Amino acid sequence: MASQGSRASMAPARNLVMTDRQHVRNFSIIAHIDHGKSTLADRFIQICGGLSEREMEDQVLDSMDLERERGITIKAQSVSLNYRARNGETYELNLIDTPGHVDFSYEVSRSLAACEGALLVVDAAQGVEAQSVANCYTAIDQGLEVVPVLNKIDLPAAEPERVIQEIESIIGIEADDAVRVSAKTGEGVVDLLESLIEKIPPPGGDDEAPLRALIVDSWFDNYVGVISLVRIVEGKLCRREKISVMSTGRTFQVEKLGVFTPKPKDRDYLQAGDTGFVIAGIKDIEGAPVGDTLTHAGHPAKESLPGFMTVQPRVFAGLFPVNSDDYENLREALQKLRLNDAALHYEPETSQALGFGFRCGFLGMLHMEIVQERLEREYDLDLITTAPTVIYEVQTTSGELLQIDNPASLPPANRIEEVREPVIEANILVPQDYLGAVIGLCVEKRGIQKNMQYLGTQVSLTYELPMSEIVLDFFDRLKSVSRGYASFDYHFVRFQPAPLVKLDILINGERVDALSVIVHRDAVQSRGRALAIKMKELIPRQMYEVAIQAAIGSQIIARTTVKAMRKNVTAKCYGGDITRKRKLLEKQKAGKKRMKQFGKVEIPQSAFLAVLRVDNH
Amino acid sequence: MPFNFTTIPPLSLYIHIPWCVRKCPYCDFNSHAVRGEIPEQEYVSALVADLEQDLPLVWGRTVESVFIGGGTPSLCSPDAIERLLGDIRARLPLRPAAEITLEANPGTVDRERFAGFRKAGVNRLSLGIQSFDPILLERIGRIHDGQQAHAAIDAARSAGFDNLNLDLMFGLPGQTREQALADLGTAAGQEPAHISWYELTIEPNTWFYRHPPQRPDDEQLWEMQQQGNELLHAAGYRRYEVSAWARPGRQCRHNRNYWEFGDYLGIGAGAHGKLTDAVAQSITRRSKIRHPQRYLEQVRDGQRLANTATLSSEDAVLEFAMNALRRDDGFTVTAFSTATGLPWSTIEPAVTAAIETGLLVIDDSRIHTTPRGQRYLDELLQAWVPESVDNARTG
Repeated sequence: MASQGSRASMAPARNLVMTDRQHVRNFSIIAHIDHGKSTLADRFIQICGGLSEREMEDQVLDSMDLERERGITIKAQSVSLNYRARNGETYELNLIDTPGHVDFSYEVSRSLAACEGALLVVDAAQGVEAQSVANCYTAIDQGLEVVPVLNKIDLPAAEPERVIQEIESIIGIEADDAVRVSAKTGEGVVDLLESLIEKIPPPGGDDEAPLRALIVDSWFDNYVGVISLVRIVEGKLCRREKISVMSTGRTFQVEKLGVFTPKPKDRDYLQAGDTGFVIAGIKDIEGAPVGDTLTHAGHPAKESLPGFMTVQPRVFAGLFPVNSDDYENLREALQKLRLNDAALHYEPETSQALGFGFRCGFLGMLHMEIVQERLEREYDLDLITTAPTVIYEVQTTSGELLQIDNPASLPPANRIEEVREPVIEANILVPQDYLGAVIGLCVEKRGIQKNMQYLGTQVSLTYELPMSEIVLDFFDRLKSVSRGYASFDYHFVRFQPAPLVKLDILINGERVDALSVIVHRDAVQSRGRALAIKMKELIPRQMYEVAIQAAIGSQIIARTTVKAMRKNVTAKCYGGDITRKRKLLEKQKAGKKRMKQFGKVEIPQSAFLAVLRVDNH
Repeated sequence: MPFNFTTIPPLSLYIHIPWCVRKCPYCDFNSHAVRGEIPEQEYVSALVADLEQDLPLVWGRTVESVFIGGGTPSLCSPDAIERLLGDIRARLPLRPAAEITLEANPGTVDRERFAGFRKAGVNRLSLGIQSFDPILLERIGRIHDGQQAHAAIDAARSAGFDNLNLDLMFGLPGQTREQALADLGTAAGQEPAHISWYELTIEPNTWFYRHPPQRPDDEQLWEMQQQGNELLHAAGYRRYEVSAWARPGRQCRHNRNYWEFGDYLGIGAGAHGKLTDAVAQSITRRSKIRHPQRYLEQVRDGQRLANTATLSSEDAVLEFAMNALRRDDGFTVTAFSTATGLPWSTIEPAVTAAIETGLLVIDDSRIHTTPRGQRYLDELLQAWVPESVDNARTG
């Protein structure tokens, strides 16, 4: 322990148990949803006394109640715990995790960058799932030590031997001595902590080297400004020191730093191997970009750290305020959300049908739903979301290459040389019993099989699929045809030419741009009919007759009519109970607020989203 | 926008009798099935005590009309009604020719009883016929049959009631258009002064709401209504409100007061009142405790109020429109200002917009609905519903 001598003199007096780097372990948990990550994390916190009994509520890591504690928002979860091991020594265990968005692989790789090891938690009854495989490979690629853990061994259906086989054959790591635990009952959890200390190496890095701190995550807090979660890779960072953000050269003074236990706990310094938070009076999130490197302003490091791949949005949709007066509020709300969500993209969009709004880019459907929900709940906005679409490449006859993220902006057919759609490679793990159903689903979604491998009782399938077919409901469908047992993971491979056309919906003879959709030519007829019927179901009867048409260019392929309602008048109304009649009117008004006026016709919000869900069942 | 009342609207009095022999499956009024005798003497005393506590709110004002509704007011004995009306007259000036209506159910009356009501001072009778078809009557849970309906009308007539209203419903479960028109024809054939002809509406908190019956579809209802309107018109009735038809000069003054946004006191269990205060420059709605037994207990301690609410100017404009636009002849600019104490500019933008869309029309200085506006009245009224009503979910 070469650095011990110098550390003693640097360390100010403090009550905390001193931990040299040999007694630090930084780790992440890789687990599929429902495989017990949160419960296991809670057990760790409980055993290490991070929270008192009273503070200990179930599933602490998932609880948002912690957010406001001390005015600090915990987004990327990092928890520093002191664990007194069987050998009598006390270790600092740093669990670094990004809950909520676990589906987003880029966040997983970010948390992994701050770790030396990862626990691969597998449900001992259900076996390995595709997402865990992908995350596990990311961890191995980043040089992490992966420790396999079998959870839920208390379940009667647990088959540890089979699952160990699976881990070995599917992921390809030794799993013979996988720790068997039940996060629920607490069985084996202490053994796991011991095994973690033994197998995961302590962090390296030199305290004396010039400071290099990786920004793992940054988020904006209304009270203190930007809070960054950093991993000190080399050097040491103290309170009140001047730091510089290496990509921009901007300098800031550190106001506060510390660790989460999971409550934020101030410290005087962070040193190599530590993961903690830094508050430095940064007013905007761009001031501390995720993946950037912090160094000392006075004696900067020579090179920045490798950082992360920037994430590209994959799914696009228009967000429009129901009430056009809310446009500026929507812009402000998006700005604020973006402060904490670098993956959210938006730019102004104008729709003939919906007026002014924003075309937004998301990582996937879950991301889109989260953003939409936050806008509606936290910012009290009534929104219309148009059908999500992927990005298409269009080669025009004049030789231009266009990126189309909005069906309405697809050029007319005579100007198109070729349309190319994004294709992904999907890796699916499915128990043999459901293989047929899953293959059927992939074929329905225009998939091309690339590989199929039997691995114990599971089958690993590799398919190439058009991204447009999988972003919407593939995951739900996959779950339903396999009764929840199949899992999948995907990545983009290329743009590929495909016979795609634009299907328009006309309401009372006028094209509603926000209802246009890009469809494969073979499906367009049935899709058009289904859409016209669906619109008829969704658009309520109103004071005027509503004609609905589906069209490709100028060719009408289907039509339906919503007849005018005969009347809408309260039959009986006397002075006495007018308050009740009034509530009825107010309820009707609230219903209308969620509809968009298109000419004389009111189109409900659901119609805009139904566009792509129409042919599924 | 502050109120500025220079005069006070006319005042009427509503009295609620909260008991019925049986609760009808479509009824969402404050009515309770009675077990045995109703405590009528005790209740009349409570009504009078209730009124006395309200008197300071209406000092010096004359009552234009009285309406005894329910429930089934005809469950009360003529003596009780006589005592009630006498006690009211002793405390509150009634206009000499005031309209005094009592609601009666055909299943609960006989000639003698009607004569007693007439003698007690009731001068208008409203009979809850609903239908003359015994099968339909049974389906909607009424306690009378077609025979009794006719008998009740005869009894009312021979007891001296010439100002008679028949309450009739259409769109009953399984009712055909022919059946609906037959009912209406029978009613018109009796030549009452007034016919209230309602479409059955399924209200929350009713048996029908929980067990929805099979009703005629929108198209059938529309045909019933169109042809029914023609029938009534041909029989000499004129529609003056969404569901109210009268022979010339026989419109219901009490209900007209509601639809003109007039003032009213409400006494009895669950009764609602609306009063304008020219001193405080305010409009207040008050309602009394709904449950009869609790009302009886609390009224003695002066604790009979369930709710009090002061209207904002926005509320007043909406509620004025909800009422005034139900009338076929609508309202005048002056009537609006008198009833609401507000300047024309508070209602004008929406009126102009509705004229443009063909739902309202100005005709001989009256603003009223077009036939289309009548059909889509609830859509039209949306223009006055305040924007911020559904922010409950902002948490």
